[in-house]
Amino acid sequence: MMIKLHMNENPYSPARSIQKAAIKGLENVNRYSESKFLIELKKLLGNYNDTSSERIVLSHGSDLLIREIINIFSKDRKIIMVNPSFFPVTQYALKQASRLTRIQISPPDFKLDSNLLLKELNEPTLIIIDNPNNPTGKFMIDKGFAEKILQKKDVLLLADEAYYEFSGQTFASMIEKYPNLAITRTMDKAFSLAGLRLGYLIMGDCFKDHFPDFLTYLSNPTLFAAIEALKKPEYMTSNVDKILSEKKRVEKELLKTGIQVFPGNANFLLIKTKILDFGKRLNDEEVNIFNLSDEWMEGYYRISIGLRKENDVLLSTIKKICNDDKNRNL
Amino acid sequence: MKKIGLIVNPIAGMGGSVGLKGTDGGIYKEAIELGAKPTAPKRIEDTLALVNRKDLYFFVAPGKMGEDYIKKFDFKYEVVSEIGTQTKADDTKRIIREMVEKNIELLIFVGGDGTARDVYDALGLKIPVVGIPSGVKMFSPAFALSTYAAAEIINNEYAEVIEKEVLDIDEEAFREGKLGAKLYGYLKVPKKLNLLQGKKEASNVNKSETIIKEDIAQYIFENIEKDTLYILGPGTTLATIACKMGVEKTLLGIDAVVNGQLVGTDLNEEGLLGLIKKYLKIKIIVTPIGGNGFIFGRASKQFTPEVLKLIGKENVIIVATEDKVSRLECLRVDTGEAESDNNLIGHAKVITGYKTETIIEVK
Repeated sequence: MMIKLHMNENPYSPARSIQKAAIKGLENVNRYSESKFLIELKKLLGNYNDTSSERIVLSHGSDLLIREIINIFSKDRKIIMVNPSFFPVTQYALKQASRLTRIQISPPDFKLDSNLLLKELNEPTLIIIDNPNNPTGKFMIDKGFAEKILQKKDVLLLADEAYYEFSGQTFASMIEKYPNLAITRTMDKAFSLAGLRLGYLIMGDCFKDHFPDFLTYLSNPTLFAAIEALKKPEYMTSNVDKILSEKKRVEKELLKTGIQVFPGNANFLLIKTKILDFGKRLNDEEVNIFNLSDEWMEGYYRISIGLRKENDVLLSTIKKICNDDKNRNL
Repeated sequence: MKKIGLIVNPIAGMGGSVGLKGTDGGIYKEAIELGAKPTAPKRIEDTLALVNRKDLYFFVAPGKMGEDYIKKFDFKYEVVSEIGTQTKADDTKRIIREMVEKNIELLIFVGGDGTARDVYDALGLKIPVVGIPSGVKMFSPAFALSTYAAAEIINNEYAEVIEKEVLDIDEEAFREGKLGAKLYGYLKVPKKLNLLQGKKEASNVNKSETIIKEDIAQYIFENIEKDTLYILGPGTTLATIACKMGVEKTLLGIDAVVNGQLVGTDLNEEGLLGLIKKYLKIKIIVTPIGGNGFIFGRASKQFTPEVLKLIGKENVIIVATEDKVSRLECLRVDTGEAESDNNLIGHAKVITGYKTETIIEVK
């Protein structure tokens, strides 16, 4: 059976109680979700992020919220993004933005030059930054730099914190102070709900007026599972701990093979190898990782951290490929 | 049946195994004396073993240039032309031309950068190619990355064909550890579909390369300044810009335009300096070489330090498709003079579409 390490999913299934909640939601999918449950979910998310539930907008996927923000603000604003960035959002921005500036981050550090970005903020601008960045896993901006950006009244900052639970860094505490800040989050990753798709927006005052004042209807299985998951976050945190510990182990083992590993702050690793058809050869052995060569640079791959036994198969397969490659070149 | 041409340069890559860089010129004999073994046969056989389409009809070059390998497989084929015991670049060009007369729809060739240049000479941009790398250098982006990648392109239908660079590498300089990659031409290459990725992350909203180049050209055109000398570097993106300006430019040369009129073609340094003296406002438009990112390389003799100094960094406009820029770690300059290079390094904006730009490091 194919080991899926290409979409940054959580390898752990939702807890039994969360699965039960989703099943309960299935029982009445002939009905739209009830307001009281939507309000409850927003309250739970407000508490989880230490902010008011009025600042929360729900959606089936945070990428849909980012697209909506691009739709709303791109007409009269320049958009600035980092390249590379989460590919579906980049593609959407390329299609929709009336003006788009991308700042390329380069190996080996993949660091965003803050002065370069500040120099570009001389007109109404929407900055969209995934923090940490996908696919590099690197932080693009820290709190100090975010504050510098947010002091510019004409600039809106949308930070995509899809991997917050793994990275531990968030700007959520700044949302009351800075009206021009918004944050997107997801329960797809750390909360193991990728198949149910629950994204949300935490919005500063500048964004509030642009989002309609009614509740987004979610599917009942998603709604009930998300509520249950937030009531017992310890299941999520224990899985995150296990994934981060596995990430360290995988990173250490990969380095032994001679493959270049770029340490990051999410549930995946960025690697680089000169071995030809590396992704295809892993795929032939039933291990799927994300080949970045088609969207980005040759030789770069992103590997999601799986279960220990999945990571063991990954590592032994990579070691075999590396040895075969060495023998071939002798 | 899909008609496919197949040609192999049997000596490409032989230099590598004995520590020689390339087999151009007299180096081939030296490689043989040192015990070099051909690498191209294995490359084509590895590729053909992965080809599983049954609706292909091959037109192959004779003997060790193609027939010897395809006959080991179950493909339908016929042999085109004849060759002597020792094969030369002229054989490659002649046989490809004969294959074109047979109405081939795709050409598969095996070889190195030198072979790619021969293919370009014979074929230009007439028919798409799949280049299977077997040479020593392999700097031309026109090549597929591997035999598997080549087979994948042959096995699948492709929605789009893009132009990729064929580079002229000075082998003598390369043997001395220097790399001067000059643009030699372009080949049409099928764009590989991403078959292994999850659907969620597959980019299916990409515009075609042709439309992106037209977007870039439109943006440049709308911002053209009157009475300004526009010096256009080589490349297909620049050719699209020239077309929008209402002129036809040389694909590989440096041409100049003022107010929609061509005022110089295929200019050398002297020609450029002469024009620069005549105009108060001057702009250069260039595109980086795919793969290595050179905007002003050692081998671009026309854009000398003196030319660049007179024009000024602020008047350099860089254009490239998103796809090309995203694949580069950085842009590079190597004008041959440290002061000139230092003036150009830092960060630069690359126009990548209509009102779309990417800021990238220049090294």
